Amino acid sequence: MKKRIIKWSILLIVSSVVLIAGIMYYLLNQPHRNVQATAPDYQMDASALVNEYLSDVALANDKYLQIEGNSKIIAVTGSIIAIAEDLNQQKVVYLKGILGKAGVSCTFTAETNIQVENLKIGDKITIKGVIRSGAEYDKDLELYEDVILEKCVILHL
Amino acid sequence: MKKIILTIGITGFLALTAAFTTPTVSKLISKTGHINFYSHTTFEDISADNYKVVSTLDTATGEIVYSVPMQGFEFKKALMQRHYNSSKFLDTKKFPKSKFKGQITNLTDLNFESDGIYTAEVTGEMTLHGVTKSLSETATITIAGNKITIETNMQLTLADYNINFKTGKPSTNIAKTIDVTTKSVYTKEG
Repeated sequence: MKKRIIKWSILLIVSSVVLIAGIMYYLLNQPHRNVQATAPDYQMDASALVNEYLSDVALANDKYLQIEGNSKIIAVTGSIIAIAEDLNQQKVVYLKGILGKAGVSCTFTAETNIQVENLKIGDKITIKGVIRSGAEYDKDLELYEDVILEKCVILHL
Repeated sequence: MKKIILTIGITGFLALTAAFTTPTVSKLISKTGHINFYSHTTFEDISADNYKVVSTLDTATGEIVYSVPMQGFEFKKALMQRHYNSSKFLDTKKFPKSKFKGQITNLTDLNFESDGIYTAEVTGEMTLHGVTKSLSETATITIAGNKITIETNMQLTLADYNINFKTGKPSTNIAKTIDVTTKSVYTKEG
């Protein structure tokens, strides 16, 4: 009888430790959210998104930014005004927002860079990405900052 | 006739006003700067990269401004990234951007028209996590053709910016002082 209790206790302890270790391992190594495979939280024109930010940056930040950084995934539609590359060899497509003010800057990834190859200035497209920061006028930079989307992918609607 | 003179006069006046109020071309813009931060402890090395740094360099006045979208830092591990963004650490929802505004103090030692590698002394104010502190650092400025590259390598003490963790894993796994390196490339016009 006593032996059985000891046996079961040991088994219980060992399995708990394994389970806890497993959960810890999963939490510590869980992958990043796959923005490309996630449905957008919002879908809108680039100008509408920029306008929302320029009219009330605090309100827009509250709506789109998330406290732990997994912020809203937005699909924006607009005309391409420039195509560039960042210091990590990722393609950056700039969509027209409000002329003379801010637009939407969309950074692609090593995997999605290839989608940018056939794009040209003036094309109207829809791009999905995670929002990192909004548009606003910065008095020190003396310019309007764009809405920034990263992990971008082109949506074919 | 009078009308024509008046029109010319007004047009001229407006043109002059526009010429003096439009931003000078000496102000260069870079929208894809890179910042890395690196924390080393015996338990863990943590590194994060951000490629969305917006900055301006005024070659005439020596003014440099950086604006950093704080949620743009990418970590290897998703959990680290969540911790970094959370209200216990950088609170990036409340403070979505950090900023540095400074001045090159040895502008006479630099020549933006001549290729070369220069050391610039930069003094200014940094705002991070809602805290503004004065900061003086050296920057390496490389001029090659129409490209100007500014690189810095500095150390930031997190407690200076009210980023504290006294207990638990973060207090042992995150360095009190972290290395921050930046790189921005500007293109001269004309």
